[in-house]
Amino acid sequence: MFLVYFHLAFGLASLPEAQKLAEPVYPRIDTLIIKSMPKEQLTAVTASADSEIIRRLYLDLLGTIPSAQEARTFLNEKSTNKRNQLIDQLLARPEHARHMSHVVDVMLMDRRPDQRVPTAEWQAYLYTAFAENRPWDQLIREILSADGSDPKTRPAAKFLLDRDGEVNQITRDVSRLFFGRNLQCAQCHDHPLVNDYKQEHYYGLAAFFNRTSLFPNGEDKKAVLAEKAEGEVSFQDVFDKAKKVKTTKPRLISLTAINEPAFDKGKEYKVPPKKGEKPQPVFSRRAQLAPILTSKDNHAFARATVNRFWAMLMGRGLIHPLDLDNSENPPSHPAILDLLTKEFIAHHYNLRWLLREITMSQAYQRSSEVPVQLKEIDPTKWVVAPLKPLSPEQMAFAMMQATGLTDAERTALGTKCTEATLYAKLSPQVSPFVSTFGTRPGEPEGHSFLATLEQSLFLKNGSVLRDWLSIRNANLMDRLTRMKDEAQITDDLFLSILTRLPSQEERTEVIKMLQAAPAAQRHTTLSELTWSLLTSVEFRFNH
Amino acid sequence: MQPCSYQCGTKEHLHSRRTFLMGTAAGALGFAGMTTMASAQSLKSSQKRVLVINLAGGASQLETWDPKPGTDTGGPFRAIKTSVPGIHICELLAYTAKKMHRLALVRGLNTAEDDHGKGDYIMHTGRRKEPAFDYPHLGSVASKLLSPSESSLPGYLHITPSGGSSFGKQDAAFLGPRFASVTLANGQPPPNLFAPKNLSPDAEQQREQLRSQLNQRFQRSRRSAQTEAYTASFDQAEQFMKQAHIFDTGKEDPRLADRYGKHDFGRHCLMARRLLEHGATFVKVTHSNYDTHHENFDFHIEQLGEFDRSFATLIDDLVDRGLWSSTLVIVMSEFGRTPRINHLYGRDHWSKAWSVALGGCGIQAGAVTGKTNANGTAVTDREVHGGHLFHTYYRALGINPAKNLHTPDERPIPLADPKASAIKELLA
Repeated sequence: MFLVYFHLAFGLASLPEAQKLAEPVYPRIDTLIIKSMPKEQLTAVTASADSEIIRRLYLDLLGTIPSAQEARTFLNEKSTNKRNQLIDQLLARPEHARHMSHVVDVMLMDRRPDQRVPTAEWQAYLYTAFAENRPWDQLIREILSADGSDPKTRPAAKFLLDRDGEVNQITRDVSRLFFGRNLQCAQCHDHPLVNDYKQEHYYGLAAFFNRTSLFPNGEDKKAVLAEKAEGEVSFQDVFDKAKKVKTTKPRLISLTAINEPAFDKGKEYKVPPKKGEKPQPVFSRRAQLAPILTSKDNHAFARATVNRFWAMLMGRGLIHPLDLDNSENPPSHPAILDLLTKEFIAHHYNLRWLLREITMSQAYQRSSEVPVQLKEIDPTKWVVAPLKPLSPEQMAFAMMQATGLTDAERTALGTKCTEATLYAKLSPQVSPFVSTFGTRPGEPEGHSFLATLEQSLFLKNGSVLRDWLSIRNANLMDRLTRMKDEAQITDDLFLSILTRLPSQEERTEVIKMLQAAPAAQRHTTLSELTWSLLTSVEFRFNH
Repeated sequence: MQPCSYQCGTKEHLHSRRTFLMGTAAGALGFAGMTTMASAQSLKSSQKRVLVINLAGGASQLETWDPKPGTDTGGPFRAIKTSVPGIHICELLAYTAKKMHRLALVRGLNTAEDDHGKGDYIMHTGRRKEPAFDYPHLGSVASKLLSPSESSLPGYLHITPSGGSSFGKQDAAFLGPRFASVTLANGQPPPNLFAPKNLSPDAEQQREQLRSQLNQRFQRSRRSAQTEAYTASFDQAEQFMKQAHIFDTGKEDPRLADRYGKHDFGRHCLMARRLLEHGATFVKVTHSNYDTHHENFDFHIEQLGEFDRSFATLIDDLVDRGLWSSTLVIVMSEFGRTPRINHLYGRDHWSKAWSVALGGCGIQAGAVTGKTNANGTAVTDREVHGGHLFHTYYRALGINPAKNLHTPDERPIPLADPKASAIKELLA
């Protein structure tokens, strides 16, 4: 399966090299993780149950939970290789591309309100890229190179256009996202806490963008990026009493300055600045960044990428926090980070390969239950799987799946049902979850878990969830109210919502509740039961 | 409805003069003079609170706390004596004047910012706006530092004249949405406060019980700070729902309620009192709109006619309930108004020399600091800016203004601008 898929992606690769590349990396990840584990923890390591891993894989790779039917099929499957088979199936599904388009949208745009490129167009662009598994370096090159003037590539320019083409916003986020180093503190002085982050790093990066601006102006919703042929960055340390003003040419962190050709006066422009016309320099500083950022020599780019997607699956980065890569904050497992960085480059920045390797590791597939003999858990050792709070999107889609809204819409669409038509029906339901559970627009997600009063009131009393608990053709309430046998109802309820069968204790409790209520109130009782399962801690986290 | 012509046309000023006047007409029937309540129970608590009355649009310092009668800039109103010998304020604040012995004035404020949004930012954060960094509002900081952990009400409540009730996100900045403002538009409760109509109390109890059983089972082997925070947010919702009766002002004795004035602002001040006496930490009441580029004097008669009696009543009620000495009270705007009277009998935006009034917790009652020149065009003594105000607020509340808050990436942010200091003469 993997080889087939591999050849599709890199048909031109020579076979021996391809064979070498086809060698899985995940066993080496596991060896390195195990090596780092204290002995008493090593004996405590437990693999996840099938019901645990299927829910985890669906949430991590598809952004939703499996249907009761999908769960049942997987649980009953006898093949010893069924987990790896499931991973390959999920990665090939269009829902995976959809999920990645959400994840990467939030990663790159921090839920900013739309400025110049509508989110729908941007997400559609990302969806197409992930559906064809476009290499990550190519995707980021496109995003940093587009200037917004060609309608075909305008969505890719959202990263720069919706940051107003503004040098400081862009510098901060390029350093944070693509170098794993948040240089913001180095804007006004060398970083006070991180010795590696210098002011010239910040301005070296800023110099790629300091000549860029919006054309014709920031107010124009159709504005594009323009660039001048002159202008240098200048900076002084706010703590420097001598107030020495410094400057730098564009350069990547840890690399020497790029060569900048000199031009005779009057020859700097293809289109010189003129009122009403977009200036075009012969030499564009901005255009230099994307190719050298994503070049194979710049390991920082692959390293930051690997670390980010590792964190998406493993709950925290090998370097933590994600944007604090420096010599005083070493990775928990330098060898794993180096291995994955090297292999990610060798695999041509193939994101699906990366996700596949990590999810196939035993480290990823551990149980999230803390063994009783362990008092404290070191999160950097991955002895147990972490609890990851669901993102607003995961929560919305998981709740739609659990309550059967997804099934109801699928049934209503009938033969017209595809991932795209179903998504069009369901996606409008996501926005109340984003506004209620998302972080402050413009703030990177994932710094801290938020549990607010607004959220609990939304879940307790809000109409969104309430509506999903009414009976509708083919939804959960419809299915359960038709069933007679209480044990069967209970099993279906737990499998649909928590992707597991109830414990004996739970089964007895729920059956008692169902039998205690008059038959006419069956739907009411079922909807309250469903609510309890949906709002439980178990549902709120990917465990 | 026609847009109001006296304002400067930004989005802050979309109230129409007609709705404004209707409110005032109804409010003319007050029930004056009642300051003690037989049923009032004196509340004693070590909790400190903050009440902000925000006179949005920019109230005129000359028609409020720093009148200059008989000068070229003074306008038509007299200055009147107050309950503190030697302090005179504008005659439009006749009721408040009788409470002057509870208040203190800052008359030397120069915030150097004549833009509504930026001025508002300074008055809410004590900092000037910076391009790539947001400071949290005083209400968010108070919510974080002063709210008891068992508090059943959100920490930062904002009563606005109109709009929709909602949970905020932005004003808490890096402190996170938990400490952001909850808007009570026209005093209405926030969304989803009431249980669904078709959910019986028994069913509610049953579903909560099952949820908690499931949680206990799951957390036996998978408890973390995050799972705890999630379950706690449901407890908080339950507590808050039990307090929903606060929003039902119909339970107030109408004669006592009417002392606040039968207009929106009066009702909002009454709501502020109800929230504070039920344990709210920070309540802001916005009164709108003072942006009087046109007919400044007529509009201040009308606006302050509402403010004066309601505010004086609120002072009385907070004193009666034993809340005054633990509640820091701030009456502010985003800026003041120009001493120069324009050709439309208006006054424009002005931040160089204006005033705020303080009172309650930690404030030296009857004190005045700062002075402006004869016709109010410049500060001549003890000039202060937003940073000084915030040092003073924190000191009054017993909080060290040099204390650091931390951003999620551990960057330390001092509570108040380190370049300023407290106005010591205002501190009790």
